[in-house]
Amino acid sequence: MTSAPVQEGRIGASPRKRDGATLLTGRALFLDDYAPTGLLHAVVVRSTVAHGRILTIDTAAAEGSDGVVLVLTGEQAAQHAGPVPYFIDPAARGGNRTDIRCLQVDKVVHHGQPVAAVVAGTRLQAEAAARLVEVEYDVLPHVLDATAAMAPDAPRIYEDWPGNVITHNRYGSGDADSRLAESDVVVSGELHIGRTTTSPIEPRGYLASWADDRLTVHASCQNPHQMRWMLSVSLGIDESRIRIVTAKVGGSFGLKMQGHPEETLIALLSILTGRPVKWIEDRRETLMAGAREQVHRFRVGARRDGRILGLVNEITADVGALTAQAGWAMPNMSATTQPSGYAVQDCRIELDIVCTNKPPLNAARGFGKDAAHFVMERAVDLVARELDLDPADVRRINFIPTDEFPYRTSTGLNIDSGDFHGLLDKVLDAVDYPALRERQQAARAEGRCLGIGLGFELTPESSDSPGTFVSGFDTTTVRMSVTGSVTVLTGVTSPGGGNDTGLAQIVSDEIGIPIDWVELVQGDTDRCPNGFGNFSGRSMVVGGGSATLAARDVRDKLVDAARRLMGLGEGDEVTIGDGVVSAGGTSMAVPDVARGLLTRAFAIGDIEPVLESTRAYKPGNINHVPDELGRIQPYPTYSSSLHAAVVDVDPETGKVTLLDYVMAHDCGTMINPALVEGQARGAVTMGLGSALSEQLRFAQDGSLASNRFKSYLLPRAGDVPLLRMLHQVTPSPFTMHGNKGAGEAGVGGAQASVANAVEDALASYGVTVDRVPLNPPAVLDLMDAAMAASDGGAR
Amino acid sequence: MSCPLRLTVNGVPRCVEVETQTLLVHAIREQVGLTGTHVGCLTGDCGACTVMVDGETTKSCSVLALSAEGTEVETVESIADGDELHPVQEVFWDEFAFQCGFCLPGMLLTAKELVEQQPDADEGEILRAINGNLCRCTGYNTIVAAVRRVVREARAERGAG
Repeated sequence: MTSAPVQEGRIGASPRKRDGATLLTGRALFLDDYAPTGLLHAVVVRSTVAHGRILTIDTAAAEGSDGVVLVLTGEQAAQHAGPVPYFIDPAARGGNRTDIRCLQVDKVVHHGQPVAAVVAGTRLQAEAAARLVEVEYDVLPHVLDATAAMAPDAPRIYEDWPGNVITHNRYGSGDADSRLAESDVVVSGELHIGRTTTSPIEPRGYLASWADDRLTVHASCQNPHQMRWMLSVSLGIDESRIRIVTAKVGGSFGLKMQGHPEETLIALLSILTGRPVKWIEDRRETLMAGAREQVHRFRVGARRDGRILGLVNEITADVGALTAQAGWAMPNMSATTQPSGYAVQDCRIELDIVCTNKPPLNAARGFGKDAAHFVMERAVDLVARELDLDPADVRRINFIPTDEFPYRTSTGLNIDSGDFHGLLDKVLDAVDYPALRERQQAARAEGRCLGIGLGFELTPESSDSPGTFVSGFDTTTVRMSVTGSVTVLTGVTSPGGGNDTGLAQIVSDEIGIPIDWVELVQGDTDRCPNGFGNFSGRSMVVGGGSATLAARDVRDKLVDAARRLMGLGEGDEVTIGDGVVSAGGTSMAVPDVARGLLTRAFAIGDIEPVLESTRAYKPGNINHVPDELGRIQPYPTYSSSLHAAVVDVDPETGKVTLLDYVMAHDCGTMINPALVEGQARGAVTMGLGSALSEQLRFAQDGSLASNRFKSYLLPRAGDVPLLRMLHQVTPSPFTMHGNKGAGEAGVGGAQASVANAVEDALASYGVTVDRVPLNPPAVLDLMDAAMAASDGGAR
Repeated sequence: MSCPLRLTVNGVPRCVEVETQTLLVHAIREQVGLTGTHVGCLTGDCGACTVMVDGETTKSCSVLALSAEGTEVETVESIADGDELHPVQEVFWDEFAFQCGFCLPGMLLTAKELVEQQPDADEGEILRAINGNLCRCTGYNTIVAAVRRVVREARAERGAG
């Protein structure tokens, strides 16, 4: 952090969240708080089998039930709505695709898939009627495991595909297999990453109102403009007749990127009933959305001094059923983010993205990048263990040297900047590493299992994918009124992280006015310029960049107008600060300049009387022209972080307790450091959950067993130690303010450092950690396996 | 079956019609019309639906509305005095103790109850108090810091007074 004090409200300061008073008093309107006159409530009838043909749907009893206005089946829906267009079409990546419907027509491919919908006067009436919809299935064999789904005789989920694989891809450069053959040591392993979910405290929901041939949808969503386009395509309504408004959003973490069947469904129900229709997920529905599930089979070759020469990794990713949402594409990033921040130019990474009869993956904070770090950091620790080297030293010898940025990785990413050794030094200092290792020895002598784990995390952010709605640019309008107050209308949205506050800081700083003169408008397709919403740590990079350009235009116009109004010459230096234009010894308040320009337009000469600008910002470093190896470069910025976890493991119960946690974070320039820390702490805690307690579990019939917060265990306050935050600022040369994305870093680093710490804690038992989550049964299982391997006997 | 429900909400006597199976959270949100109380899980796990019933924090998703007959209910809307925020709210704001704000009803009412009923709460009691409320945004550190500060400042004020 900068040592000089930053003026309140400006870039680098940490003003409070601007929506604080509204949220703290309960006045904020979330989606479920809207209740227009004539409102109807929808409930989705879901498949009770994991795989089967729909034979009949009997809606008679439901239609006769109290308060019911409409019951809709898939066959009926298909007469009015086409397939939901993909956020990222697998065909664009050379993969298999299928039509995604708002209600299934002939066949269901996962337990919980929408097959019918009921609309009634109240939610209770709709729920009661939904229970009366009778669906008869011809049950087909199902498969819940990705490796099993790849077998030639596995049940075929989409019958027109050659198998259950969406895509197979190979990533990397060099000759990893030869490097492994030349290596002094080769370590290998199989790592399992359990299925987790994002689970914001506010579930998803939509409120659609069809009136006067116009569709208005209030949505708890991240990407209103993309949703407008998708509804336009699926429902055949011109975009100009659709308005999407994101209500206050109660957290999203990727879940609320669009592409869900219910978006088209709820809009269609409103069109068919001619009345506003609201649908809010219940928690069982929210918990169906997967976030990650992969198996990695890897080999790493290294020299005796710990230098890693080559990496081979075969990834099998279980994405469940295919979805129009972006979630199915996340495993691509698990592959391309390897070998992370390590200078290993010989990599061969094979990726199979596989469908199973489970609910789909949905986009999730980390977007697959998290898995790359869990695997790389486990591999680095296993190299250290094999060679009896300190894990910190093995990281140091393999990190990309600081003077080699921008650095092109084996998989083609062009890392803009960083100082990974600097992050390591900061963390080792903060934990007093030598003293901590001594403490560990003393604890071991007392029979305690104290473990220290390191985890490096490279976080590619602000992605752009050509031909999709994953866009690396965004657009902002800055508009000053006659009173000098400013309205910022932007294409980026905030699900709660506070980018509205950051954007206000940028605009007020760039123009030179107090921050409380600035109002923000986000998430309204009728008011905001075309944009792409919230994902991939993009909001301050591209929202901030475009806001900067537009604010500078307005400032330039103010300066021009002030020169005329104040009678200054071209050469006089003009400054604007704290709402006052100053030149020489004279000054004029910004509102007076604005009023002068907008009310005396003909009197002050040849100047266009507009105090408004709309600008788009495209950061540098993105390159979609494939290089000689076919690699593209879809990210402008790469944040980096180093994590240290200190754990105590109870060998009797398998319970892991976090004693200390340090994260050294480098996201370049921080616009609002307190908000950056908020993002980092939230992401780390999500990673801690997936490392220790969170796991979606399915019964053999494919139904979700962990379908409430009593069986899907989010971290609670008592589970999270003080997460100590350290900052390093290595500005990006490719963004407006040198800032990098700051929304996702923490998920992968937490998983990796905790997994490494648990293995370290149980070193005397010879345990090798091969999975997350490391809940007590998993830890005991690993200890049993280690004992069985060492002496052939059970514990 | 629809029945009348009489209760006092934020100091105002109310009589609303509810179904026998209506949950208190839905009665407050839909019949009384106060939407600051949120629905997160309906299984009593997340705490977003927390209200005070006769002075005690209660997860209103786990209470039938009719069982609140004759009670005094206070919701998140009652904490501030008009435009004047309560010290608990100011401290939560200062400490960045929320992001999306959806969990705030539970967090604020729990913190306020703690400082009023256990003014000498130690670290363990603070964690126990808020352990019943889920937050997915903050990672809890700033919430704990805010509650700690609320307790400390209340204690200092008592000492001075």
